[in-house]
Amino acid sequence: MKKIFILSALLCLLVFGAGQAVDPEVAGKCMTCHKEKSPGLYKQWYTSAHGIHKVVCLDCHGAKQGEPDAYMHEGALIATLVTPKDCGKCHKKEMEEVDNSYHATAGLILESNDAYLAHVAAGHPIAILGCESCHGAKMEIDKDEYNKLSKECWPNSGIGRLNPDGSKGSCNACHTRHGFSKAQARQPEACSKCHLGPDHPQKEVYEESKHGNTYYTNVDKMNLESDRWVVGEDYYVAPTCATCHMSATTNQPLTHDVGMRISWTLRPPISIKKDNWQTKRKNMKDVCKSCHGSTFADGHYYQFDASVRLYNDKFVRPAEKILAMVHEKDLTEYPANFANEIEWVYWELWHHEGRRARHGASMMGPDYTWWHGMYEVAKHFYFKMLPEARKVEDAEINAYIDSLIANDPMHSWLTSETGELQERIRSGEMQKIYENYFQGE
Amino acid sequence: MFKKYISFIRGVSVNKLGLTGVVLTTSAFVTFIILELTRVLGFITNAYVGLVNYMLFPALFVIGLIMIPIAWRKRKRETGKSTEQLLQEQFEKRETEGSFLGSRIFRTIAIFTLINILFLSVLSSRMLHFMDEPHFCGTACHTVMNPEWVTYQASPHARVKCVECHVGEGVDALVNAKLNGLWQIISLTFNLYEQPIPTPVYQLRPARETCEKCHWPDKFYGQRIKRIVDYEYDSLSTPRYTTLSLKIDVGEADVRRGIHWHIAEENEIRYASLEDEREEMIWVDVRQPDGSFKRYKNTELVSEHESEFEDFRILDCVDCHNRATHIYEQPEKALNERIRKGLIDRSVPFIKKAALGAILPIYNDTASAREQIANHVRGFYQREYPGIFRQKFAEIDSTIAVLQSIYARNIHPYMNIRWNSYPGHIGHRGTGGCFRCHNPNMIDEEGESIPDDCTMCHSIAAYGGNTPYQYLEPVDTSSQDYIIHQYLKNEFLESAAEAKNNQEQ
Repeated sequence: MKKIFILSALLCLLVFGAGQAVDPEVAGKCMTCHKEKSPGLYKQWYTSAHGIHKVVCLDCHGAKQGEPDAYMHEGALIATLVTPKDCGKCHKKEMEEVDNSYHATAGLILESNDAYLAHVAAGHPIAILGCESCHGAKMEIDKDEYNKLSKECWPNSGIGRLNPDGSKGSCNACHTRHGFSKAQARQPEACSKCHLGPDHPQKEVYEESKHGNTYYTNVDKMNLESDRWVVGEDYYVAPTCATCHMSATTNQPLTHDVGMRISWTLRPPISIKKDNWQTKRKNMKDVCKSCHGSTFADGHYYQFDASVRLYNDKFVRPAEKILAMVHEKDLTEYPANFANEIEWVYWELWHHEGRRARHGASMMGPDYTWWHGMYEVAKHFYFKMLPEARKVEDAEINAYIDSLIANDPMHSWLTSETGELQERIRSGEMQKIYENYFQGE
Repeated sequence: MFKKYISFIRGVSVNKLGLTGVVLTTSAFVTFIILELTRVLGFITNAYVGLVNYMLFPALFVIGLIMIPIAWRKRKRETGKSTEQLLQEQFEKRETEGSFLGSRIFRTIAIFTLINILFLSVLSSRMLHFMDEPHFCGTACHTVMNPEWVTYQASPHARVKCVECHVGEGVDALVNAKLNGLWQIISLTFNLYEQPIPTPVYQLRPARETCEKCHWPDKFYGQRIKRIVDYEYDSLSTPRYTTLSLKIDVGEADVRRGIHWHIAEENEIRYASLEDEREEMIWVDVRQPDGSFKRYKNTELVSEHESEFEDFRILDCVDCHNRATHIYEQPEKALNERIRKGLIDRSVPFIKKAALGAILPIYNDTASAREQIANHVRGFYQREYPGIFRQKFAEIDSTIAVLQSIYARNIHPYMNIRWNSYPGHIGHRGTGGCFRCHNPNMIDEEGESIPDDCTMCHSIAAYGGNTPYQYLEPVDTSSQDYIIHQYLKNEFLESAAEAKNNQEQ
């Protein structure tokens, strides 16, 4: 607690320090014109904490001679882009946390399969608006533009934006300009600009879950505008995304590193435990325990871990192995990745359906765990992936698939009788196949 | 004399045609005299009577006169008789005695012709005079001109005659106007005109010949305070003050700066606009007497079609003061104005909110507009604030009447004139105005844009403030507004000091 107060006091000092550095003659001129010409922007700022604390236009947009994106505007040297470095002049702790977070790396996607697919299958304009809007663009300087920024990358508020000053990210990805409202960033809608859709429906899972359910029922009781926002103390009716992944509890401070409480990687084809996952899980369980008993939190992880391991072993490892064999043996019809049906099937298996299943399991969204998730994984594994693999008519691959069905108890149901299987479910024998997945943390 | 006239007209009425001519001429003459007398004496004030009197009866009079000799000739041809024979047939002997030129009948004809000429010339001069009256312009083509007539009467130029700006002086101006009028009558008859009438009006006389007769360009206006009050839509309709010191003429009389720099003798500003509508600029340039000029081009226009125009224009008064007379209000401004004048009672909670809701929709016709405006306001209070409705019944009713008059002034369903059909270009609130040229997209060859700095054209003493001179009050450094306050106060005082120095020099 003490820490929070000291930090707040320090921040206020910094804020006022910055406010003094600006020439009021120039700052007053900015406000005069923008009050008229962009009245919405002006009012957002004026009613914001920045406005109230006299953090003025030039405190954030003021630039120094030599900065590549600096330009003269009505007698002031300014930059359009406000980077985490600029915000960090006052919000140092937050800047450092963001800089160390996974969010800050979101802009480094050019080498990913996602970016490759967008560029080959769709095209550059879609890569700009579809990918870089969330991930962040590499900001290019264009001396001919009024604000020195290339139109191909400005506007952009992606969370991993690669800024000309070397910093990564953009605070207003979550703290929408020019109000920078705490309340707004605490609500699930702040995250759902990006975290939604067929490939990572965190927003939809949350809405389905009891957490989202109670939030939308009680949003007026969330105390969202409060300066201090400790779960269990300042609010208690429901958690938002921020509550679990970032906000303060009675035991831990607020963090802007969104990965500090996440123990599994649910993004890649095969999930693994993250570095220091034990600490991270402890952090998350601490949040859970603000509202739940410890057996509740432990039980959740018991079930969730088993689901992730099941997905890994039963479907994605065999699928990955099959595709690897196809590629090694050069059996695809066309050479380029994604030029062949089987590559799209595998992609959706983990990138869409597999993530839906895992995100559903992690955030207690039953329908996403099964019907939108593992159901689709199973269906497409059995009736798209395997048939596509058999089409290449390779003896070794066929033998692998045959052995998988014949010998893996998770898959051998395919060649059994329905009645017999029902009996095995009733007797609990079927469930025993998955016993191992519940082992350990 | 009367007897003589009777016998004369009997004489010239050689057949039915002649009789008709005589009757037409005589009755038109008599009716004209009677009507004109009643008009001059003030018994009749209806403008339509004047219109009928000056248009219809003179025409009938002339037609009748023309018919008489035609009838005579016809008779001559039919009977094969000579003029003399006919005269003798038609008139008593003593009338036709002597040589033709010396006869009494000739003298009678000469006298009547003289009277006719006299009458017609008086008549045509009075007719022209009548057609110069705003009443004629405003009401002759009632449906078409009514919107302009209504707004003209409510404007600062209500005492300036239409023709002083729209026709101008000289025979060629008159002929031009009458020829235009002829076309207008045709397009009115056959419904060939657009609704609303498109603007700008290209045939308007040049400002040099019209505006500058009263507002001579050498007049040095200095700085002028303009106070604007906007009322909020809250329960109190709280006033918010904006006070500007407009820098109309600053600098010295021979080197003009300020807003009227645009019309200084040494500057000539030309522009070309999209479709010659004077709304969106293609380029603007400023020329000096030595022939040098600097051109700013609109970078927003990219396609070839967009850089097409018929004619460039040399900027004059009406490019900014395009609605100096026929002023159509914006709905919010109309309400602000009526509240400021006390015509709408601010003590009725949420009155501006209710009023705006009532006048914004476009109703089918004038009658239903009156009814719906009343229904809207009454309904609003009955539904939301029944207590207030009972308590403030009279105030609500008088507000309704004011709203109906605002609507009648500004909305003209027949001519398709709605809110903002005719935007004004003075200032820049809600319409292009100054910002048509003064915007960052108008770029010269060096990449400089036409400045659009707020304090270039006006100092700001209040901007949506609680008091009319908020920024001239002492600066409170603890206030959230202190930076903008300090800046605008300094700017205001510096500009005022500069203006004062210039005047003293």
